[in-house]
Amino acid sequence: MSRPDLTLPPPSLAAERVSLTYGGTTIVAGLDLAVPERAFTALLGPNGSGKSTVLRALAGLLAPQKGAILLDGRSIAERPVKETARRIGILPQGPAAPEGLTVLELVRQGRYPHRSLFGRWSRADEDACAQALRLTSLDALRDRPLDSLSGGQLQRAWIAMALAQETGILLLDEPTTFLDLAHQIELMELIASLVEERGTTVVAVLHDLNQAARYADQMVFLKAGEIAAAGEPDRVVTAPLVEQVFGVAASIVPDPVTGTPMCIPSAKGHRSRRRQRCAPSRQGDGG
Amino acid sequence: MMRIVPLLLVTLVGLCFASLALGDITIPARKLALAIANPDAASPDTRMILLELRLPRALLALLVGMALAVAGTIAQAVMRNPLAEPGILGINAGAALAATLLIVALPAAPAALLPWASFAGAAAMASAIYALSWRGGTSSLRIILIGIGLSSLTGAATTLLTAFGEIRDVQRAMIWLAGSVYDADWSKVRLLALWLPGPLVLAWLGARELDLVRFRDDAARSLGQRVNLIRALAILLCTLISGAAVAAAGLIGFVGLIAPHLARRLVGPAHARLIPVAALTGGAMVMAADLLGRTVIAPAQLPAGLVTALIGAPFLGYLLWGRRHVPA
Repeated sequence: MSRPDLTLPPPSLAAERVSLTYGGTTIVAGLDLAVPERAFTALLGPNGSGKSTVLRALAGLLAPQKGAILLDGRSIAERPVKETARRIGILPQGPAAPEGLTVLELVRQGRYPHRSLFGRWSRADEDACAQALRLTSLDALRDRPLDSLSGGQLQRAWIAMALAQETGILLLDEPTTFLDLAHQIELMELIASLVEERGTTVVAVLHDLNQAARYADQMVFLKAGEIAAAGEPDRVVTAPLVEQVFGVAASIVPDPVTGTPMCIPSAKGHRSRRRQRCAPSRQGDGG
Repeated sequence: MMRIVPLLLVTLVGLCFASLALGDITIPARKLALAIANPDAASPDTRMILLELRLPRALLALLVGMALAVAGTIAQAVMRNPLAEPGILGINAGAALAATLLIVALPAAPAALLPWASFAGAAAMASAIYALSWRGGTSSLRIILIGIGLSSLTGAATTLLTAFGEIRDVQRAMIWLAGSVYDADWSKVRLLALWLPGPLVLAWLGARELDLVRFRDDAARSLGQRVNLIRALAILLCTLISGAAVAAAGLIGFVGLIAPHLARRLVGPAHARLIPVAALTGGAMVMAADLLGRTVIAPAQLPAGLVTALIGAPFLGYLLWGRRHVPA
């Protein structure tokens, strides 16, 4: 299903027949997933389908019961953790920071894997943090304590930390949650530019199908721990798939702005129908 | 940082002078200055009071305070809990049980064994708690819960010993438990001064590890930290440092809790600055507590541990009050 296209270079990150369990419950069994390099992969699926679990495993935070997560063909479990942390960064879901930290102090933690045991803070460390703050538009807030930030600002601070890590692979677990519409778009644009300009490989768990279809190069749909479909948005997003994965009847129309597939769920109790029932003579506005 | 360290150092020197000058026999400033400048010229009484009684006592208070404060800073980082202190690792309970056992059950044992026994008790308890909380890895919460459980169990054993012990032995044990530097002498100061620098400097050099281990396991691990290893090493350092302090001075409470908080107010949460400032703050606290304890109701002496508790308990209330809006 998700076999790599032969015309592309071999993926640096892949899951090979991976089984993942949480406290005795099997979440994912025998999953194969190749993450296309220098591309944006969106991971989608209903709640409890195993998206976050798969992402944690890809980052090496959850050891597979069976199978292996391969980075450049070598199992992540066999690699030194610090070396892996220079290659793969992850933004966990709902991360928590110790009390009293400022934005800059959080972002600076992202440099941990790049520093030797007693090595000093270097020019490169400073530059990476400054750039991460700029990319997430947090310059003005750099000295603010994290407890004083809004949910969206806090989310961006964590993203900045992951960016300061300067990894070739970036895994994001629901990065747009807590963000308002403007910052959601800003973040998706940022991810797209990271992929395009720096050749970063990004895997993000997303909930907004239409946003994912707009920005992602590949969409992977998970259901009950198995891949239901994977591929380019134009090919995979179909009404039967949405019905199968989310249990929602929907129409797929081209996005009026980008032409990418757009999912419009059908709705029974919507407002205009209610209004029709009350005032049947009134006409719609033709949209 | 640049202004706070000199300020703390000045405070420490001031406290040291006050500790030397004040007591049953007050030594006036001029006489003190002369005695310090030229000890051989001072009267034998003055020299004896200064060099054999007050100076080792002040230095021991300083060292114990520094040790407790740094151990508390480490414990708060590793336990990810601002209310943690070395006692959570079972150090106090283990030392108390071992000391009580030695004093009450083996009254014939030489007093010189006491520090070693209490250090052994502290180390044994800390290892037991760590071992019991190991389940393919440790977690801060498991260590805290098992620490509380085992501490109350050993506390019960200590109480049992005191309930059935000889009354004079029990009294000796209670005095030890109250925590004090009244029996300071140069051999204790020397021992502590040789023991502490290694672990204290290591803790300071590991500041960056402590900065990161405060995060959740996942976050720290994804940045490449070997969380279980660092946690074990930090707990080991904490045991070496606070176990020695407890062995030298008994249970002086609240310093390990409060000094890191004061230091955090002064210089923020980064451990590279926090550890030295906490050490100086802790040293000043115990010196001040001992000075107060032996001058306020002289000639009677309050143990330093009692004074820190008298000041510390309201401070703990203040901390909790300040955190009343912080969920969980």
